[in-house]
Amino acid sequence: MALAVMKPVKPGLEEPHDQIHCIRITLSSKNVKNLEKVCFVLIQGAKDKSLRVKGPVRIPTKVLGITTRKSPSGEGTNTWDRFELRIHKRVIDLFTSADVVKQITSITIELGVEVEVTIAD
Amino acid sequence: MGKKKFIDKKKSATFQLFARDSSDPNSDGTDRVFVRVDNNSYSVGSFLPDSKISGNSHFDDDPNSIFADAPDDMEDGDNGSFGNSANFGGGFFSETSSGPLPEDVRREIVELGFPDDGYNYLLHMREIKSAVNGSGFFQNPKAKLDQLPHDVKAYDASRVKVSELKSEDRNDKSIYNVVSKSVGVRVQKAVDPEVAALLDDSDLSRFGSDVEDLEEDFVVRANLHEGGEDLDADDLVEGSEVINEGIGGYVNYGLVRENVADRSGVEKAINAPAEARGDFGDEMQRVRRPLDEQFDLLERQEYGTDDEDDEYDGYIAKEDEFLADKLKHVLNDRAVDNLELDDKYEVPADLLHDNDRPKNKELLDSAADVIRLCREYGKKYENEDEDKEVIIEEESSDESEKWDCETIVSTYSNLDNHPAKIGAPETARKKMLAKAVVGALNASSHVIALGGKEKLPVDFLPHSRKPATEKVKAMPSLQMEQQKRKQHGQESKEEKKERKAAVKEERREARRMKKEMKELYRCEAQRAQKNAAVAGPSSIHLA
Repeated sequence: MALAVMKPVKPGLEEPHDQIHCIRITLSSKNVKNLEKVCFVLIQGAKDKSLRVKGPVRIPTKVLGITTRKSPSGEGTNTWDRFELRIHKRVIDLFTSADVVKQITSITIELGVEVEVTIAD
Repeated sequence: MGKKKFIDKKKSATFQLFARDSSDPNSDGTDRVFVRVDNNSYSVGSFLPDSKISGNSHFDDDPNSIFADAPDDMEDGDNGSFGNSANFGGGFFSETSSGPLPEDVRREIVELGFPDDGYNYLLHMREIKSAVNGSGFFQNPKAKLDQLPHDVKAYDASRVKVSELKSEDRNDKSIYNVVSKSVGVRVQKAVDPEVAALLDDSDLSRFGSDVEDLEEDFVVRANLHEGGEDLDADDLVEGSEVINEGIGGYVNYGLVRENVADRSGVEKAINAPAEARGDFGDEMQRVRRPLDEQFDLLERQEYGTDDEDDEYDGYIAKEDEFLADKLKHVLNDRAVDNLELDDKYEVPADLLHDNDRPKNKELLDSAADVIRLCREYGKKYENEDEDKEVIIEEESSDESEKWDCETIVSTYSNLDNHPAKIGAPETARKKMLAKAVVGALNASSHVIALGGKEKLPVDFLPHSRKPATEKVKAMPSLQMEQQKRKQHGQESKEEKKERKAAVKEERREARRMKKEMKELYRCEAQRAQKNAAVAGPSSIHLA
């Protein structure tokens, strides 16, 4: 990865002395509402600090389905149960130093949302 | 064409957000902590709160961590994992005890009710926060935290002597180390009060028996002591009382206090016959009232007249004589049946008419009697024959009843037993499989289509109902396209016929599908039936 990925510096602000990393935040959850809320909060927080943000990219949701016969025996009309588990995933890219990310993610996270942060140069 | 990735996974550090591990002394009060989950050698200096270079050593260096004594994971050293190689050589177990706990920690432990024994119980406690990551705390109004649930019993083991280890090795993670340092903390409302009282009670004098060492012949002794016939009943009662008391003495040993009341009742009862005995003895010396005389008279008249003496004598006699003597004694006055045959057996008639030898009168008489009786019976029998019909009753016994294999298959009742024809159940399945295979082969291209997540050849699977369902779904759609429903009353006769025919076809198809399904599941039904016949109640009826 190129070393010189610098975020556009606004005049008047001091230059970032921390090294800028490429940070990818992956949020996954079974619950869309909470996930969207967290996404929104994160992006708002990043925009407030005027960082370069990309996202949220919505990865296609994975549906894990189990289809079983309702009946415990073989008798009766063949009715089937369709159970499913939906996993939603959002990806947010940031260009900032590590401290800022820690700050951003220190806000309250909703129930059931899993956060994964990948830092690269 | 090579699109530049935003992040190269192999050259980056990945962290996941976890709930704070409460054993981490460096936690600064936040709920969550970033934990590194990958093994790359990329280092991010400032991302972790405790500013350690490698995230892996986060757990390894902390001696109080709950993971400290777990064996290290066997990692292959190829991917350059950071801290593992160092730790692997350093031994599996690390120190867990870190000297006496700081004062505030100790105070908190004691406040929570745990014993102050050098173990940090706070490692297992978690602070409750309202908005937590992945878990929530709900106040349970019905929780009774100070009382034990009903199926748990707790006993105070504070006075249990635990063997002291010779080596004062504090590092030794022996359970005795913890226990020997334990303090007598009372668990409130844990012990059954009765059990507690019993356990506390060291005085076992309650369980001592007053009457010790019953003599073996106490019944006889008692009888002798009484003297006289009227005391038979009393003897029996007293004997049973004594027996009861003996048993009671054994049974009550080590029981709960409730039974002591019973026991004292038994004791009283024991004392009663003694008193009664004493009383009766006294009564003998007491002045006999006219009522007593009347009573005696009445008794003698009603109950004790004839058989009294004889019975008593016979009773005594039975005790003394042996059986053979008794028999002799009884049979002495009966006629002795002389069964000794001298030379040959003589028929009664011969006896009568034979003048050869001397016979005694008895023999002759008996012979005559025998002949006479025989004659009478014979006549009776002959006469009876003509009047009545002979009723022949056939005894039905199990051996004589004939079963033949055609009529009976089993002796079980048909309520529980549903016998079926024995047949090879596999043929049905194979038919479907054959059908599926044939269908697939005849279908279209010569390519085996792999479908689904596991990449299996879908058409060849025996239970793939996809082709069938697709067929079924395809047909109604076709039909709907073909038919254009005309408004009511505007369709011609042919169209109506067509429609009706189509409906009939539909129904026929549905019936066929249903039958197919039923065939498919016949084995299941049989199996279910068998299981129900064995295990289930007979009221369940399976098709």
